[in-house]
Amino acid sequence: MSIEAVNITKRFGHFTALDDVTLEIPSGELVALLGPSGSGKTTLLRIIAGLEFPDVGTVRFDGRDISDRSAQERRVGFVFQHYALFRHMTVFENIAFGLQVRPREFRPSRNQIRTKVHNLLKLIQLENLADRYPSQLSGGQRQRVALARALAVEPSVLLLDEPFGALDAKVRMELRRWLRQLHDEIHITSVFVTHDQEEALEVADRVVVMNEGRIEQVGSPDDVYNRPASAFVYNFLGNVNLFHGRVEEDKTYIHEVETGHVVYVRPHLLDIARLPNGGSHFRARIKHINAAGPLVKVEAIAEWGDPVRVELPQERFRSLQLMKNEEVFIIPKDVQVFPVRNEAARAK
Amino acid sequence: MASITLPNPGVPAASRAVQATTEQPWVRWSLIAIAVAFLGVFLFLPLAIVFSSALEKGVSVYVGALREPDAMAAIKLTLIAAGISVPLNMIFGIAAAWAIGKFDFLGKSLLVTLIDLPFSVSPVVSGLIYVLIFGLQGLLGPWLAVHNIKIIFAVPGIVLATMFVTFPFVARELIPLVEAQGTEEEEAALTLGANGWQTFWRVTLPNVKWGLLYGVILCNARAMGEFGAVSVVSGHIRGRTNTMPLHIEILYNEYQFAPAFAVASLLALLALATLLAKTVVEWKARQQSTELQRMSGEAL
Repeated sequence: MSIEAVNITKRFGHFTALDDVTLEIPSGELVALLGPSGSGKTTLLRIIAGLEFPDVGTVRFDGRDISDRSAQERRVGFVFQHYALFRHMTVFENIAFGLQVRPREFRPSRNQIRTKVHNLLKLIQLENLADRYPSQLSGGQRQRVALARALAVEPSVLLLDEPFGALDAKVRMELRRWLRQLHDEIHITSVFVTHDQEEALEVADRVVVMNEGRIEQVGSPDDVYNRPASAFVYNFLGNVNLFHGRVEEDKTYIHEVETGHVVYVRPHLLDIARLPNGGSHFRARIKHINAAGPLVKVEAIAEWGDPVRVELPQERFRSLQLMKNEEVFIIPKDVQVFPVRNEAARAK
Repeated sequence: MASITLPNPGVPAASRAVQATTEQPWVRWSLIAIAVAFLGVFLFLPLAIVFSSALEKGVSVYVGALREPDAMAAIKLTLIAAGISVPLNMIFGIAAAWAIGKFDFLGKSLLVTLIDLPFSVSPVVSGLIYVLIFGLQGLLGPWLAVHNIKIIFAVPGIVLATMFVTFPFVARELIPLVEAQGTEEEEAALTLGANGWQTFWRVTLPNVKWGLLYGVILCNARAMGEFGAVSVVSGHIRGRTNTMPLHIEILYNEYQFAPAFAVASLLALLALATLLAKTVVEWKARQQSTELQRMSGEAL
């Protein structure tokens, strides 16, 4: 089922959580709402679910206006960050809840419910924990139960609010791959909220980057990472070095007095050399080297005094044999330039 | 290979204080003795005296005092007053806690203050309020007199006064509990298609059941033991508007000590039963709250 949110505005007191947001989600896609806290992503998700109602705007499922429908009528599956499992019910009872509260004429028989719950338990690989209480499960297990509970009512869309936010790094990684797999199997339109760019880029078909109640960019992970629409998107989707500069025809000058533009360079798009190569470069002094991990992180001070972060592949680092306090040349391989006006407008 | 030499402790471990917060034995024992002596004089001794005075003139006097018609009437009236006011206050308490704990609205803090009012007002004043409203010279008195409805110096007045005095117990107990549990489980129930009523019965109520039971026990104890407010509205008509505490006072004032203490021993037994029930419920509730903490603790 496709989801449309049209011209949504939502205020909490004086705080504008969503400012005239329009978003279309085609049927069957797995979409990430990505943004820092306070960007309005959770509010948008809750408005789609019917847990929150917009001040202005319309929500449509498959083209039908459902703005006035309650959460109960919308048939969405909602997964909460802190699971929100019913703590006085067993795993089985939690998953069966949505089926048991149906009006008598739509309620499946006792046996049908049992079969359905056991199929879902199989799906989340927790078949032997049906009689446990939520407090007896680990975080990852709880979140899977929450997911099964949401799927039990055969929702038209699946909405997940920071589903892995409360889990430790390893479980999180496993669970998000599992979510991706699950989506490939059942193809239910799914929207999940996250503030973790890695998670969004890895799991989603499309990423919606949000900031201060507005949508900055909608695109495939490749689009938003490699072709960011704004300085914010570039900044949010990875580490960056930021230089002030100006643009003249096809040349970019960094650290000139006249600073009409901001130049962004990701640390892994900078190279280090002992000698200038004739192209773009600037001088820097190496301040700190951290060689742990797949990339060697080098902190340097540029000739004008600002810190610069460079990430080098291990082989490159070894062949250079860099030392602390060494004078080197830094060579940008690729840069992104955004006008300063853009930034000033955002800051308001 | 590096080896580390641990410094040899100069003093044998046994002679040192085991914990920094532990006192010398004589301090500990004298503090315990003071506490026990205090409890003995102010709690156990009076309780023992109630039972020994009640049985002073033999079991037959004891049983006779309880089976006497006025005493039976007083016991019955106390049970009626508690039997009406406790369930009603349970419903009001749940409603108030639900409204305050789950929703934000204008005047919420005012409502919380109002709920506490019966705690802060003297019981005598609580009784007088009803006399001033429903009494013959009161606000609604003439109208009630015309329609032959008796509230003051009758059972309805006693029930009303009891309800007023015991109103905060359930609500006070539930509000923090409901607030701490938040609204996520209710939201989950709604998205799963449950209506408001199903959400309340299947999710909200089971989550607060131990707190609710605790509040009801305290509410019941107070409803049965209430003296001040009931005394003002009752009129002390023997066999008709006397509750147990009022009956005890009358007997005592008439120097009928053994019967007075016999009825008092019933109230004391109620207190002991309440304490026992309270302990069990508190223990259960604590189990539930550690579970809650464990869940939210891991969630962070």
